[in-house]
Amino acid sequence: MFNSKLYIPTAATIEGVQELTYDTRLYRLRLKNRKSDSSSEDGYRCGQFVQLSILGAGEAPISICSSPTEKGHFELCARDVGLVTGELHKLKTGDELGIRGPYGNFFPIEEFGGQDLVFAAGGIGLAPLRSVIKFVLDSRDDYGEVIILYGARTKEDIVFADELDEWNRRKNVKVFTTIDNPQKGWTGHVGVVTTLLDKIKHKSKAKAFVCGPAIMIHFTIKGLLDAGWAEEDIITTLERHMKCGVGKCGHCYIGGKYVCTDGPVFTYAQLNSLAIEV
Amino acid sequence: MPVISKIEIKNASITKDNLLTLLEKVSKEKTLIAPVRNELEDVDFLPVDNAAAICFDYDNTTSSAKDFFFPQYECMFTFSGTSSNSIKDKNDGEEIVLFGLRSCDVKGMELLDKFYERTFEDDYYLSKRRKSVIISVACSELNQQCFCTATETGPVLLEGFDIQLIGTGEDYAVQIGSQKGLELFEKYRGLFGSEVAVDVKKLLAQAKQQKPKFNLQKVYENLKEEKVDEKFWEDIAGRCQSCGLCLFLCPTCSCYTVTDRVAPNGESRRNRQWDACYFRGFTRMAADYDPVRNNKEMIKRKYHHKLVQQIDEFATSGCVGCGRCNLACVGNVNWLDNIIKIERAG
Repeated sequence: MFNSKLYIPTAATIEGVQELTYDTRLYRLRLKNRKSDSSSEDGYRCGQFVQLSILGAGEAPISICSSPTEKGHFELCARDVGLVTGELHKLKTGDELGIRGPYGNFFPIEEFGGQDLVFAAGGIGLAPLRSVIKFVLDSRDDYGEVIILYGARTKEDIVFADELDEWNRRKNVKVFTTIDNPQKGWTGHVGVVTTLLDKIKHKSKAKAFVCGPAIMIHFTIKGLLDAGWAEEDIITTLERHMKCGVGKCGHCYIGGKYVCTDGPVFTYAQLNSLAIEV
Repeated sequence: MPVISKIEIKNASITKDNLLTLLEKVSKEKTLIAPVRNELEDVDFLPVDNAAAICFDYDNTTSSAKDFFFPQYECMFTFSGTSSNSIKDKNDGEEIVLFGLRSCDVKGMELLDKFYERTFEDDYYLSKRRKSVIISVACSELNQQCFCTATETGPVLLEGFDIQLIGTGEDYAVQIGSQKGLELFEKYRGLFGSEVAVDVKKLLAQAKQQKPKFNLQKVYENLKEEKVDEKFWEDIAGRCQSCGLCLFLCPTCSCYTVTDRVAPNGESRRNRQWDACYFRGFTRMAADYDPVRNNKEMIKRKYHHKLVQQIDEFATSGCVGCGRCNLACVGNVNWLDNIIKIERAG
């Protein structure tokens, strides 16, 4: 745990800010008051989130988008859409912000050794999956084929564009990117991300990771099920309004579960049994 | 450290006069919270500095006692500027003695204790609870608006209390059920009389001779198996005004929101304050996406939480049968009537 007291954020320094799109930035953070190895920056699992705290504005849950295989820092990706993310976007390299966490469960990626992996992401939904993708690419030989399907509204909305290109050049990794509507200067695929589903062949020993806007998750999962994927092989991560991140404030409660502590990572089989609609 | 360290129940007794003396002494040494009747005839928990102010003739208090551990508005910490290093934790809590909780409210507190201990320990609540002692008073008859025999939360408690008083006509039988209760008892040992054995199981069986207003197990099953007609939920959704009063008065509701504010004295504070799942916007996120799509889903979510999820997790009903929500509702959404309808569904 980065913070020692439940509700008291610990200070982190912004080591770098990268403009990903006109409204989305990547923040590289380092803990300011590191006390021991247990509070080091890699003390998290793929799929966990932190409560980003900006004193005077409040807190917001943000997925960690780096991989714990990277040492000495962790990264958060945030779009300027609300009060806290708006304030975050005013901060620069060297500024300080508050962090609580890491919280929530995680993608059990170590259990999927040898399997083929499909990542389907929409918009900024790539951020939590980027953590897993980077983890897998750092232990490349442990996993089978990796296919990444990524959709954005317009070419200006594509996040991690350079990394998508770089991943595509890796051995046994294929990346397919699409934008919703035709656009001048875009020669790639056009259509929502589900129109890329024919790029993948269903195999029995494979896992599909899905993250994006609710409607994207809904139709991507439907497409995967139609293609013969098993409910327990489809894994998603839910975004919810949260105030505490630790199972107390009640905002993220749905279907008998607290998304912050029971989730945010669920298989589709779990969501189905809880009657949580996606 | 658990909030209540249970001990083998110890029996004693106390006369009405000695109870007044006890409360008078406690009020001089610690903060005593007890039921007080105001000029509008409402009875509510208030700090008292003399026993004469305490009301003994009441069915139940208007609000539950949760406010003293989970205040409606609470400063979590203060800060100056934007640096986390300026944070000063404001978690404090004085030793308090609460007198006059009914059995249902003690059960509600027990559920909150478990809730705040689960996953991560919430120190703001738990540190206040650990410093408190509760002297509860069992109900001698069932009140019209409540239904503790159906929710298995009263009118007398088998365990889980610090000190329980049970009326014996003239005086009270006293049961001591926790280490904290025992310490208070030992301190004022001279005011207590000899052991009066009370058969609580027999009292509970007698209370159940008046048929409980519903069968909790049946309600649980019908909700879990979704046997309730959608029209039923639509009807409630149509009448609920989203005022949140039922949830604020509920002894087990604990949802909160967090706000950063500058106080009148110029101090910057991060506060938590009560929130309610019946407030629209409770689950709404940036970009206007709301996973709880409409009032019908919002209502279902609450019924399911209290009558299924909390029973699954804590093996005790999330509704303790106090009936406060029914008295407060401006839209005549009667929780009890609705539970009975759920029981009869399917």
